[in-house]
Amino acid sequence: MAEAFHMEIELAIMPANVHLSVNDPLRDERYATIRKIRKTGISFDINTRLSKLSWDVADHKITFDEATALFEQILLTPHANQLMVLILASAANMSFCRLFGGDPTAMLVVFLATLVGYRLKQILLKMKVDIRVVFILSAFASSVFGAGAHIFHWGTTPEIAIGTSVLYLIPGIPYINSISDMLDGHYLCAYARFMDAMLLTASLSLGLCGGMLLMGLRWLS
Amino acid sequence: MMINILQDGFFAAVAAIGFASISNPPRRAYGYCALIAAIGHSIRYVLMNNSLVEVHIILASTIAAFFIGVSAVWLAPKAKCPAETCFFPALLPMIPGMYAYRTIGALLLCLYHNEEQLFSHYLYLLTYNGFTCLFIILGMVIGATLPIFIFKKVSFEATR
Repeated sequence: MAEAFHMEIELAIMPANVHLSVNDPLRDERYATIRKIRKTGISFDINTRLSKLSWDVADHKITFDEATALFEQILLTPHANQLMVLILASAANMSFCRLFGGDPTAMLVVFLATLVGYRLKQILLKMKVDIRVVFILSAFASSVFGAGAHIFHWGTTPEIAIGTSVLYLIPGIPYINSISDMLDGHYLCAYARFMDAMLLTASLSLGLCGGMLLMGLRWLS
Repeated sequence: MMINILQDGFFAAVAAIGFASISNPPRRAYGYCALIAAIGHSIRYVLMNNSLVEVHIILASTIAAFFIGVSAVWLAPKAKCPAETCFFPALLPMIPGMYAYRTIGALLLCLYHNEEQLFSHYLYLLTYNGFTCLFIILGMVIGATLPIFIFKKVSFEATR
């Protein structure tokens, strides 16, 4: 992109900031900035649009002003419908239960457990509660629901229902990102992302542990 | 066997769509994500559950992820999305979530028990689950990114 505007850039990406230095070789001017990285949920939609924008700029299809306007517009890309995500995520976790060998009863229990836990997550996130607290509470709610099958002896695979009821909270993308940063040699970012993901996993485990204690179930053998 | 494979693929596809929706992919990517996830997960299923050679979960995930990467690179230009948008959601059903939280659970139990035998048992569970989880993810990422580097031009210019 910089080449399209006859500029040279140096870019350093840190876990919480981005350092960018732009050099204009014709006028011998240099501009440097450090910006905080916005904390937002992952959005592949925004990623895709930015990728398209970067090619449009690099191929001289749009001017600088058009690009800036488009950029501002892309940042406003709406998130997917909350209700749709809620139902899809619940169905996904239900399928997960099936992949682990759960029977239809366990699948139904997991669907409901995820529905409750994920809705709670959405509500708490909207209230801007700390994400770790959100994970503890959601995992707690889901595991209490998931334990239902065990307590009332529903179906033949109640332990799978509890085990999978919290899996929708596993931060899969941060884990993948962390490892791909590591392979790229961005060790600081890799470590930061890995710790973020580990903390979320730990929060989830705490919630699950609490839920199982409350329902009087033995945790891990 | 065939029905089991198809079932595995189907449920992996539903799981991929659902978990993908949490990360807001563009609408047109959903179908591709589901297809790629189904291919990947059923390959892993076949590798791990057949009468010829039982492949270990780490190697099976790596091989499956490689095929996910290849199909993502192949489908990305058709979906007009970066290859990452297609394969990240497709990898999600293979993320070893249970190993991940069992690692933390074992850590808590380690701290709780101070008798040597029980402590060692939970320490064993901690390292077993932790290592397995870490190496599955490592294998998956290596497997999935290899095709992107092999077909660099196709994968980076998908949105061009």
